[in-house]
Amino acid sequence: MFKAIINAGTLHDAIKAMSAVVDEARFEIASEGFSARAVDPANAAMVSLDISKDAFVLFEGTDGEIGVDLGRFTEIIGMADKNDEIELALDPDTHKLDISMGGFSYTLSLLDPSTLRNAPMVPALDLPAGITVSGSVFKRMIKAAEMVSDHTSFGVHDGVFFMEATGDSDQVRLDLTSSDLIAITPADVRSLYSLDYLGDISKGVGGAGEIDIHLGRDLPVVIQFELSNGDCKVKYVLAPRIESD
Amino acid sequence: MAMNLCVTCKGKGLCGREHCPILERFEVVETIAPADSLFGASPPSVFVGRKGYPDIFAGPLVPPNVGGSEARHYDDPKELLGRDIGEIIGLRSQLVRSYTRMNVKDAASATKAKNARGVGDAGGEGMSDNPALLTSQELAMAELPVDTEVWFTRPLNATVAFDGMLMPMGPAGEIKKITLTENPKVPRKVDYLVSDTDSLAADAIRELYRHDVSQHHITRIFSIGLLGAERKLVPTRWSITAIDDMIGKMLLDNVRDYPEVCDITLFTAEKFGNHFEILLIPRCFSFELVEIWLPDSVWSDKLWIGSDREEYSGKKGYSSLAGGYYAARTSVAEYLHAIRRQATVAIVREILPDYWAPLGVWVIREAVRDALRSGGVTFGSVDSALREISSRIRTPYSKWNGEIQLLDKCRYQRTIGEFM
Repeated sequence: MFKAIINAGTLHDAIKAMSAVVDEARFEIASEGFSARAVDPANAAMVSLDISKDAFVLFEGTDGEIGVDLGRFTEIIGMADKNDEIELALDPDTHKLDISMGGFSYTLSLLDPSTLRNAPMVPALDLPAGITVSGSVFKRMIKAAEMVSDHTSFGVHDGVFFMEATGDSDQVRLDLTSSDLIAITPADVRSLYSLDYLGDISKGVGGAGEIDIHLGRDLPVVIQFELSNGDCKVKYVLAPRIESD
Repeated sequence: MAMNLCVTCKGKGLCGREHCPILERFEVVETIAPADSLFGASPPSVFVGRKGYPDIFAGPLVPPNVGGSEARHYDDPKELLGRDIGEIIGLRSQLVRSYTRMNVKDAASATKAKNARGVGDAGGEGMSDNPALLTSQELAMAELPVDTEVWFTRPLNATVAFDGMLMPMGPAGEIKKITLTENPKVPRKVDYLVSDTDSLAADAIRELYRHDVSQHHITRIFSIGLLGAERKLVPTRWSITAIDDMIGKMLLDNVRDYPEVCDITLFTAEKFGNHFEILLIPRCFSFELVEIWLPDSVWSDKLWIGSDREEYSGKKGYSSLAGGYYAARTSVAEYLHAIRRQATVAIVREILPDYWAPLGVWVIREAVRDALRSGGVTFGSVDSALREISSRIRTPYSKWNGEIQLLDKCRYQRTIGEFM
């Protein structure tokens, strides 16, 4: 059983964050809220989404799961105004999702959850360095790197965070000291990441205010942010690239 | 003329010339005596031209004085694969291309006429619709060669037509009258789907493929306007790629759900001066084709290298490598579907001067199919497999390594699983 009412903007941002990594996802419904975890087909990027029941205007759910085509879902909820309320209800007979907002009533066919890939566990990573940066700075940083290369380094050295991208002909570097950042946990680290994935993640970040980035030495990066005053959490894990010769 | 235009055009006419100067340099290998009528068994084969679209020329291909069992050899890709280029051109130049002018939409009215009249008596005289089209359609449905008699408006001229995507064909003659002198044997599934004017062409094609109707046969009946709800004649050149694309997509929908292959495996083949290296890597499905045309191969007097690819989510838009891309992908999809596995697949195709006359994209489809069937060699790393590939490709690795972009992802991108 699942019935919920939620702000359209929050739901839209949460689904957009998932779409950065996968086209289809399996959502778990529990009494405490709504969550999903998915990994891209190449097993390089992972996303997890947790929407606590407090993020909802109304939430009634018993344990269950639904498979959703994120592209179709985004199109439908994109019809709502940002401040509209969206009502979601799972029809137990047809196993379809009824979506009502702004006078529209949609029926979305769901995917069989068993046909969707199993998401692996979130790896336990020991990432010594961390920064908190504004969403707009994060997005500009990715955009700048994409202009010169298809991969970029993130690192912290002597208490300064840096992004460095080197392409065939051009390169770009950005240094952010503690005064440019919201917070920093220093440790000397550096890892290389694909901008294919970071570019998608940057789109998924949407209008998030603050982004937490956790880094290690040649380890995956964890990028996380919150929506709806902390009641909706999004976390990405992206595996690094090996430095090419 | 910019030679690299020729490699991508392959006789389409992008340079604006009426006739392709490269195709015209091939001379007739064997001539056919001028005659105003002929009798022979069509393999069966029909040709639908694209010039003047939507008013095009179309009709059956018939080798004069060739009987049933022998006729099959003229058009069966599996059979032709075992011969050399000279032999293939010799056989194909005997195929007389009979034609009449028709509009692509005539296929719809032909279907209505046939349904009104009942199948079986098409091709007779005194019909309101183009009788040559009805006869061509009846012939195209057959699985085995059909004895055919054609009378022409003018005696035939001895020429051979080449095209980058199509099999070569012999002289052409305009049909005055055409009859089938035996009843074509039509597989039941073909008969059923040709009579079904409600289902979409894409659904009919899937259904035929699942029932083991050969791709060659499906392409033939699709081209002559016998499938789908809104029927049209589809130029042979376009229909080959349309069917490759549809079959490829259908198989890949399944392939994406299969587990990954276990090993890095390399397959090799060389047919008619087309050298193939096919590398399968344990990763999600993606596909890449690199084409290297050596100096003095058919379409180029200097080295030309091109590549195209698709990621897991599939291809958007038409490939820059044209029909060959889809033909190679079809064979790869067939293989992965057969072994119930997915993989990242990179193909390097090097075209040598030995490929002195273009034979059509079937060469790519069949050569890749053949290579995958004959078994591969496993490697411990992508790098060691790449070293093996570059030892067999004549062009230095430094000239084409920038083109194999998907492989970079396999070599350098780590996975989440490695950190569990």
